Amino acid sequence: MKRFLVPLLLTLLFVIEGLFAQLLPANLFNGDYILVPRLLIMAIFFLTIYGSVKHGIIYGFVYGLLFDMVYTEIIGVYLFLFPLTTYFFLMIMKVVQTHILVVSFVSLISIAALEAAVYGMNLLIHIADIDFTSFTEIRLVPTLALNLIFVILFAYPFKKQFEKFADRLRND
Amino acid sequence: MPQFFLNKRLIILLVSIIILVALIGFSLRDRDQLSWPEKFVKDTAGWVQSIVATPTQYVVGIVENIKDLQNTYEENKELKTHLEDMARLEAKVYSLEQENAELTEILEIEGSIGDYEPMQATVISRSPDRLWHEMIIVNKGSSHGVQKNMAVMTARGLIGKVKSTTPFTSTVQLLSAMDPTNRISAALQGDKKLFGTIEGYDKENEWLLLKGLPIDAEIKKDQMVVTSGLGGIFPGDVPIGKVIEVVPDQFGLNQTAYLKPEADFYNISHVMILTRGMEIPEEIKVEGEEDEGEDL
Repeated sequence: MKRFLVPLLLTLLFVIEGLFAQLLPANLFNGDYILVPRLLIMAIFFLTIYGSVKHGIIYGFVYGLLFDMVYTEIIGVYLFLFPLTTYFFLMIMKVVQTHILVVSFVSLISIAALEAAVYGMNLLIHIADIDFTSFTEIRLVPTLALNLIFVILFAYPFKKQFEKFADRLRND
Repeated sequence: MPQFFLNKRLIILLVSIIILVALIGFSLRDRDQLSWPEKFVKDTAGWVQSIVATPTQYVVGIVENIKDLQNTYEENKELKTHLEDMARLEAKVYSLEQENAELTEILEIEGSIGDYEPMQATVISRSPDRLWHEMIIVNKGSSHGVQKNMAVMTARGLIGKVKSTTPFTSTVQLLSAMDPTNRISAALQGDKKLFGTIEGYDKENEWLLLKGLPIDAEIKKDQMVVTSGLGGIFPGDVPIGKVIEVVPDQFGLNQTAYLKPEADFYNISHVMILTRGMEIPEEIKVEGEEDEGEDL
């Protein structure tokens, strides 16, 4: 049963992301800003750093593909960008300490990079047609603010959970 | 040169970019149906989502009910004033309906494009990737009779059309999506019906754009815009919004009207999928299939 704990957690986060828009009170900010929860990728970042790199990248692929199929219907964007941002995150983590505060901060930076990359991709395939300034205003900054709250709430539980996961891997 | 090929990371990157382009190209093409792995994944995900969504929506519903109680007094006052007008309107509607039935019987018309049958559906999920993909997933699919391009509305007005279906879920693309292929044929109600297409969304003001209106038409503020029922399986006379402002388009050949949508694109929990009551003639069905996807 414990083997399925990590996929189960990631699936739950995946579903919560889809429900988030309905849970958020409708009149908050009058719909002017778009807040995107990025719990799934955040968990994958913490998994790579505290659990195992191999598992992190593979889960990045799998959940990227799921995200594309279910939420965007354009296969490729998240399939490619989830592992890539995880790799980007690891590159930064190689030069800094693995203190939990630093990990939280770097994962926020990586989420910003992911958002910008998704914007760029959608601009290329003509789904997005707004300029970068309005994108920052409407989506990037509110998203980062929301995920800052999430990272404060979940950084410690994630760390604990994935350290246990790493222990189990070592014992097998 | 050999070193270039030995660089494993570079090779992986190049191969994945090729795969990426191929996959995006595959999914961007105008598809009639999703591939079966996608349907399978979406159905499975839909099942998990509805397990989580049902209790959550129940709790959210209770919270909203409590909130509603707070404004009951104010609302009651306002509703009472509306109620006085109701009786008069009801009598008028009744007589008009009777008259209409009699007249259509004389003319031997069967059905109108305004006829539709609503099918209730509950939202089980919404794409978190908002602004790029304004989509909701509902719990009725092709096994319940939902088809691609069907109109979807809330009690207040049109919200979008069905983008894809799987056996047990379907994905609805909202009118507020930025997708340039998201077009809907609409009509402006007035002395003379004017036709145009709903194309694009003004994110800042939350207005819809109705394009292609004739330049010499006189359009007033607060005129009602409804679906025209001229394309594919869309029924007519579904309210979309009210005119706010009219501007000439960039070449001065047409006019563009800005509409305030009737429905709320943010707070959606129950929707109706509309099945057109009137049969679509066979010829149109065949001919229309090519451009149905774009020019509804």
